Amino acid sequence: MLSIKNLTASINGTPVLKGIDLEMKAGEIHALMGPNGSGKSTLGKVLVGHPAYEVTGGEVLFEGKNLFDLEPDARARAGIFMGFQHPIEVPGVSNAAFLRLAYNKKAEAEGRDELDPLEFDDFIHEKIKLVAMKEEFLDRSLNEGFSGGEKKRNEILQMAVLEPKLAILDELDSGLDIDALRVLGDAVNKLQRPDRALLIITHFPRILETIQPQYVHVLSGGRILKSAGKELAIELEERGYDWVLEEAAAGGVR
Amino acid sequence: MTLALTSSFIADLLAGPRPSEWGDLRKAAEARLAGRDLPTSSDEDWKYTNLKALGNLAFSPAPRAAVDISGHLLPEMVGTRQVFVNGHHAPHASCASAVPAGVRFLPLSIASEACHSLGSLENGAEQGVFEDLNTARFEDGAVLLVPKNMKVALPLHLLFITKADTPLAVFPRVLMVLERGAELELVEEHYGTGTYLSCPVVEVRVGEGAVLRHERVQRDSDEAFHFGTLRAEVAKGGQYHSRTLSFGARLSRQQPWVRLAEGAEVSLDGLALLDDHQVADTHSFLLHAEPHATSHQLHKCIVDGQARAIFNGQIRVAPHAQGTDARQQSRNLLLSESARMDTKPQLEIYADDVKCSHGATVGQLDPEELFYLQSRGLNADDARNLLTYGFAGDVLNRIPVASLRRALRQLVMARTQADSLGDLS
Repeated sequence: MLSIKNLTASINGTPVLKGIDLEMKAGEIHALMGPNGSGKSTLGKVLVGHPAYEVTGGEVLFEGKNLFDLEPDARARAGIFMGFQHPIEVPGVSNAAFLRLAYNKKAEAEGRDELDPLEFDDFIHEKIKLVAMKEEFLDRSLNEGFSGGEKKRNEILQMAVLEPKLAILDELDSGLDIDALRVLGDAVNKLQRPDRALLIITHFPRILETIQPQYVHVLSGGRILKSAGKELAIELEERGYDWVLEEAAAGGVR
Repeated sequence: MTLALTSSFIADLLAGPRPSEWGDLRKAAEARLAGRDLPTSSDEDWKYTNLKALGNLAFSPAPRAAVDISGHLLPEMVGTRQVFVNGHHAPHASCASAVPAGVRFLPLSIASEACHSLGSLENGAEQGVFEDLNTARFEDGAVLLVPKNMKVALPLHLLFITKADTPLAVFPRVLMVLERGAELELVEEHYGTGTYLSCPVVEVRVGEGAVLRHERVQRDSDEAFHFGTLRAEVAKGGQYHSRTLSFGARLSRQQPWVRLAEGAEVSLDGLALLDDHQVADTHSFLLHAEPHATSHQLHKCIVDGQARAIFNGQIRVAPHAQGTDARQQSRNLLLSESARMDTKPQLEIYADDVKCSHGATVGQLDPEELFYLQSRGLNADDARNLLTYGFAGDVLNRIPVASLRRALRQLVMARTQADSLGDLS
């Protein structure tokens, strides 16, 4: 589904990704871990086309096509979704209207029927149960005045509405209490299907107890230093990141 | 009495006969106008608003006219409306059958005996030329008196319509008095066709503990000049919430002056949506005259084309007005290279125990917000239009009258090219 080869990228001329290789197949869950500032979030943002980053080399194929030929909105309509660590607030536009608009733009691109406000109302009420969101958050302006946890809930709601093929979730656990983390983790698990892939970006291994990855990658200094199965997450929980960095420095691990 | 008027513009407007009622008030206004000219850019208060185009035109007194108002009726207010056309009361277009007994909602020409306080609100601010012109020459106006403790459930609707086949001058006048504990919601609308000069003056007295919600909609013609004066006095514990929405006129200026007594609560919000060569100027003055009053001011402008917006927000906190809480925000969105905004807070604080804050932003749409919407599948144009709409929608969403809220949302959606995005409410 996703094939990243020797990807490099920079922000304001400073290199932040220094040669990333990553393969993801449908049905897989990957965790991208690493210390703060390692470039984890950057990789996600580069994949969805954040304008602050410049791709300086390498290639990314999504379902066999060059991802960088597509504008950010076209990537979204093609089925890539990123749940952001810090979702933006948009005053003046109701959450429900925004969700319906996003849904209909995708439906239009896929040749499916668009939903009118009444139909969407039924649709969205099923979806908010999945993330245990209170109804009032539909009528409020998009993310405006939402707490950190409410914003994360809204990101997963958007994921449930847009049903992406590839979902990238950036620090889903930050700003969430344990109960909310469990609810959203369960929601993400319910949304996972054999034709979807999931990339979980996280600093802390705790979220991986709920959303269990098959593959764990450790990123530092803009490179993937180590890739292994989910047991690596447990090891990181116990030992932290330093040993991976030291191994890499010693040239033992690629 | 001979007036020594040097400005032919002002002299011409005063050339007609002085209306018979309110003689003393009018004479005082004429005396203040004697020798005065239209303000120029050398006047600090008019630095950014050029009146040359106005001065080059000649306006005649407005004759009575008939207009079709069917497109402007709001369902919540079909039985609570007073309509004025070209400054004259239009009895056939008006309908006050649903106005509750005890509330007086009448033309000034009928209720003059109830209006002893007309023109008496001072607020420490001197009358401007356009306010005095109104006082000197208003034909008629609306009176609204709400008795003690009466809470009026239905909103009231006040329409000022101008139909100008040739350039006309109109002077809409409103006096509103809410007695102690009264509550009311009023929608005041201005619209018209042709070239005209409209100088409305609205006087508001909110009694102790009374609550007035006042929506003001300016949809004047593209060729109109609009100079609005609002004077409001909010008594102890009273609340006055006003929102001025400016869409029309080639040149408009709003001058709200509000005096807050002890514990009063005021919000004074504004939205201006401008394109082409439109100019919209707001010079507001909030006087915290007594302790523990609260004022919130949110002023937003969306400026496109070669349009220009001006905001000058003066807040004065009197020496003994301790515990004042005054917050002012001026948020402005420039949509073109040639659009221009001048914004200036003007805080004069003479008390020491106060919370006063102000902030002003002028800029384009936030790239992070645009990207966020694009990352959800909206193309760049749709994302821009949605954010522009949202910038205004933020103010529109707070309008309590549902049909007005819907109508203005549609107007703004069309103006921001967001109408292709479907229902955004």
